Amino acid sequence: MAFFMKYILTILIFFPTVAVLILLPINKKNEGLLRNVATLLSLIEFIASCYLFRYFKPDTYKFQFIEKFNWIQSFGASYFLGIDGISLFLILLTTLLTFVSLLSSYRYIKDHVKEFVILMLLLETFMLGTFAALDVLLFYVFWEFMLIPMYFIIGMWGTGKRIYSAVKFFLYTLAGSLIMLFGIIYIFIIHYQQTGNFTFNLIRLYNTNIPVNLQILLFIALFLGFAIKVPIFPFHTWLPDAHTEAPTAGSVILAGVLLKFGIYGFFRFAIPLLPDAALILAPYIVVIGVIGILYGAFVSIVQKDLKRLVAFSSVSHMGFIMVGLFAFTAISINGAVYQLLNHGVDTGALFLFVGMIYERMHTRQIKDLGGIAKKAPILTVLFLTSVLASVGLPGLNGFIGEFLILIGSFRSYPVLTIIATSGIIFAAVYLLWMFQRVMFQDPHDQIAPYDHHLEFFDDMNLREIITVLPLIILMFLMGFYPAPFLDRIDPSVLHFLTMLNHHKIFYNAIKIKTGLSNA
Amino acid sequence: MHNIMPAIYGLNSLEKSMLSIIPEAVVILFAFIVLFLTFFEKIAKSKNSYYLSLIGIAFSILYVVMLSGRNLTGFYGSVVFNGYDVFLFIAILLSGFLTVLVSKDYIENFDLPYPEFYSIILFGISAMMFLVASNNLIMVFISLEFMSICSYILTGYIRGNARSTEAALKYLILGTFASAFLIFGSVFIYAAVGHLNLNSIHTYLENISYGNNGSASILSGMGEYLSIGLLLFMVGLAFKMSLFPFHAWTPDAYDGAPTPITSFMATGIKIAAFAVFLRIYVLIYNINVINFNDILWVLAVLSMTFGNIAAILSANVKRLLAYSSIAQAGYILIGIIGGGFYGYSGTLFYLFTYIFMTAGAFAVVIIFENSDIASLDIKNLSGIAYKYPFISAAMALFMLSLAGIPVTGGFMGKFYVFSAAVKSGYYWLVFIALLNSAFAAYYYIKIIVKMYMPVKEDSNVSCIAGEGKNYGIVNGNISEGIILAVIICLFFTLIMGVYPQIFINFANYSAASLASL
Repeated sequence: MAFFMKYILTILIFFPTVAVLILLPINKKNEGLLRNVATLLSLIEFIASCYLFRYFKPDTYKFQFIEKFNWIQSFGASYFLGIDGISLFLILLTTLLTFVSLLSSYRYIKDHVKEFVILMLLLETFMLGTFAALDVLLFYVFWEFMLIPMYFIIGMWGTGKRIYSAVKFFLYTLAGSLIMLFGIIYIFIIHYQQTGNFTFNLIRLYNTNIPVNLQILLFIALFLGFAIKVPIFPFHTWLPDAHTEAPTAGSVILAGVLLKFGIYGFFRFAIPLLPDAALILAPYIVVIGVIGILYGAFVSIVQKDLKRLVAFSSVSHMGFIMVGLFAFTAISINGAVYQLLNHGVDTGALFLFVGMIYERMHTRQIKDLGGIAKKAPILTVLFLTSVLASVGLPGLNGFIGEFLILIGSFRSYPVLTIIATSGIIFAAVYLLWMFQRVMFQDPHDQIAPYDHHLEFFDDMNLREIITVLPLIILMFLMGFYPAPFLDRIDPSVLHFLTMLNHHKIFYNAIKIKTGLSNA
Repeated sequence: MHNIMPAIYGLNSLEKSMLSIIPEAVVILFAFIVLFLTFFEKIAKSKNSYYLSLIGIAFSILYVVMLSGRNLTGFYGSVVFNGYDVFLFIAILLSGFLTVLVSKDYIENFDLPYPEFYSIILFGISAMMFLVASNNLIMVFISLEFMSICSYILTGYIRGNARSTEAALKYLILGTFASAFLIFGSVFIYAAVGHLNLNSIHTYLENISYGNNGSASILSGMGEYLSIGLLLFMVGLAFKMSLFPFHAWTPDAYDGAPTPITSFMATGIKIAAFAVFLRIYVLIYNINVINFNDILWVLAVLSMTFGNIAAILSANVKRLLAYSSIAQAGYILIGIIGGGFYGYSGTLFYLFTYIFMTAGAFAVVIIFENSDIASLDIKNLSGIAYKYPFISAAMALFMLSLAGIPVTGGFMGKFYVFSAAVKSGYYWLVFIALLNSAFAAYYYIKIIVKMYMPVKEDSNVSCIAGEGKNYGIVNGNISEGIILAVIICLFFTLIMGVYPQIFINFANYSAASLASL
C-alpha cells in the first residue's frame, strides 16, 4: 500500500497500458470477453483513482503525490508528476468518463472491437499523463500523442465524413501544437540563457523573466496551441466535424476530457509562464470568449443534426469558461474550473443520450425524430436531467459554475458579462427546443423510413442506465453540494492569482512608466 | 582495452594506419569473400552470401566497438578514427545490416543474382565508412566516388527493367556532374590554402582569422578562390544529401531502384554524406569568408518546403518516401545550421533516428511489394491493416515518427535540432520548419488513413475481407529476416522516443570528439 501511494500517479497513468498488454493475447473474435475485460479494468482504474481524492490534502496549493526522476538529463527534462486541486478532479473525470464510454460502446462498436478497446485504454494513459505532468517536455509528449488514438477512433469507427473529420481534427490540433512547441522551445532557451541550465521543470520555468514584448509573441504561440484545443471561437471549426462523426464513446471523451486540455494548458502553462502577456491580452481574449458564447449559441439554434447541436453547444460553454478564466478574479476562476468539470459531466451525458437515440433510430436528423418520450420514459427523464443541467437550472451542477463565472467576471468586465449572460438564455432556447422536437414532437410529421425504428424503440436497458447513472448522480451532487470540489480547487486558484498579482504590480509599474495608463 | 595492443601502438606507422581502417577492411574482406562465392554455382545459389554479409557487418561492428575510445590517424593523416567515427560507423553498419536483412526476399522475388548484390552492398558500406573517416580532400573524393559507383550499379541492378535502368542512368549522369563539382571545389580550395588535409586547412584558416600571422591580408586574393571552392564543394555534397536544388535525381533513383537499395540510399548514403559534410563544415566552413549559414538556411527551407509539397502530390509510396527524405534532409540541416556542440550532437542524434524510421518504412514497403499488392500506389493500401496488423502498426509508427509525433524517435530528433537552432537565434528557420512539419503530417497520415480506414468505394482489394494472420507471413515469401528488420527499427524508433538519454550520450560523445579536432 505504501508503494501504491508513493507511486500512485505512475501506477494510474500506466495501468491502462498494462491493461492493453493484458488484452493483446485475447483472440479478436472473442469480442464479449474483450469488452468486459476492458470495461472492468477501466472500472478498477477509476476506483484506484478515487484514492487520490481520499488522500488529497485540501488546504494547500502545493503539488501533491510528487514523483520526480531523471528522464533526459541533456535537456534537463525529468519525469516529474504531481497534482493540485484542479488536476485532481480532471484526472477523476478522465478515469470516470473512460469507464463510462467503454461501457457505452457495447452496442455501437460492432467491428474491430479489440482495436477499439486498446485505443481507448491507450488514450486514457496519455490523457492522465497530460494532467499529471509538471515537466513541460513530458507534458508535450503526452499532449501530442493523445491525438493519435483519438484520430484512429474517429477515423475507424466514425460515421459519415469520418476520414475528413479525423484528418481535420488531427491536422488542426497538430498545427496548433507545433506552434506551441515553438513557444515552449523558446521559453526553454531563454531560461537557459538566463540561468545557464537546461530545464523543463515547470516550477523553475515559472521564474523566467521574459521581456514583455517577447512574452506577447510567445503567448500568442502558446495561445494558438491551447485555443485550438479548447476550442475558442475562430479556431473551433474542427470541433463540430470531429464530434459529429466520432462514435459515441469518442464524442464523450472528446467533449468530456480532450476539450479540457486547452483550458488546463492556459491555467497551468500559458498564463503563469507568461503572466504579463496574459494580463495585457486578457481583455481581448474575454471578448473572443463572449463572441464564442453567442456564436456557439446561435449556431446551435439552427442545427439540424442532433449531435452537431450538442457539439456547437460546447463552443458556447467553453466560451463561458474562457471568460471566467481570463477575468482573473478568484470567484470567476473557481467557477471556470468548476464549469470545466460540469461541462465534462453534462456534455458527456448529452452525447451518451444522443448516441442511444442514434443506435435505435439510425438517424440524428432532428426532423426525423419525435415521439420518443412515449416509448422510453426512463430515457426521457434522464435525458431531460442532463439537458437541464447543461442549461444551468438551479439545483443542478451547470448553474453553480455559470453563476460563479458570471459573478466573478462582473467585477472585471461588467458590460461583457451582461452580454455573456444572454448565452444562458440562448442555451435554454436551443437545448429545450431540441428536447421538445426530439422527444415530444408529433411522430406523424416524420418521414416514413424512421417510423419503423420508432415502433421498436426500446427503453434504456440496465447497462445503459449504469452507464449514465454516475453522471446523473454527479449532476445532482455537484449542484447541491459543491463544497468538496471547491475546497480543493480554491487554494490552487488563489495561488494562481497570487502569482499573477505579483506580476500585476510589475505590469502597472510599466504602464505608469510608459504612460500607457493615460491612454 | 588499452593494454590489449600497446605493442602495436609503438610500432611503425603502417601498422598504425592499418589499425585505423580495420572496420572498413573487415567489410571489404567479406565483400571479396562473398564475391568469390559466385565462382561456385552451387554455393552461389544458396543463402550463404546473405549470412556471410550479415556476419561481416557484425564483425565490423565488433571491431568498431573494440577500437572505440582511441584516436587513430592513418596514411599520413588522410584517414582518422575517433569518437565521431565510432558513432557514424555504427550508424552506417546498422543501416547496411538492415539493408541486407530486407534484401533476401526481394532478390529472390525478382530472381536477381545473389552474391554480387550483397558484395556490392558491402563495398558500398565500406566506401561510406571511408567517406566518414576521410580527413583529406582527395580521400573524400575517392571514397565518395567509390560509394557512388556502388550505388549506381545497385540502382540499375534489376536487369531489363526499364525503370531501374533509367534511374541508374539518370543517377550516373547527374552524380558524375556532382563529383565534378566536388573535385573542382577541392582544386579551388587547394589553390587558396595550399593544403589538402582538413586539419591543416583548419589550422591555416584559423591563424588567418585570428590574425596570428599578422593580418587577414594573406587571404586577400585567395579569399574568392576559397569561397568559390567551398561553394562548389558544397554543391557536390548537397547532391548526395539530396538538398533541394540538387535533388533532381532523388525521386527517380529512389523510385526505380530495387527497394532495399532505395532504403540503403536513403539511410546509408545520406548519413555518410551528412557526416562528411558536418566534419568539413566544422573544420572549414565554420570559420570563413562568406556566411555559409545563410546559404544553408536557404537550402534547408527550400528542401523542406519542396520535399513536403512534392510528397503531398505523389501517389506512390516509394516516391512519397523519396520526397519525404528530401524534406528530412532539410530538417537535419537545421541542426548543422544551429551549430555548436548542442547542434552537432542533435544532428547526429537525428541522423541515428532517421535510419530506423526510414529503413523501417522501406522494409514495410518491401513486404507490401512482396505480397499480393500489384503496385505501390497508395490507393492499393486500402484496408491493408486488417490483413497485416503487425506490419501496418509498425508502418503507422514509422510514419508518425517521420512526421515527428512524440513517443517516437522522430520527435526527439526534431526537438533536439530545433532547440539547437533556437539557441543560436534562428527563430524563423525553426518556425518555418514547424509549419512544414504540420504540413508534412498530412501525407504521412494519408498512408495511415488508407491502411486503417478503408472507404467502401475504393476497396477493390480483398484486404478487408481476408482474415488477418499475425506477423504478415501470409504468402510464405516473407522471411523472418525482414520481420526482424522491422522489429529492430520499431524497437529503436520507440526507445529513442521514450528514453533517448543513452543515444544522446552517445551522440554527445561523438560530437565532442568532432569539436575537439
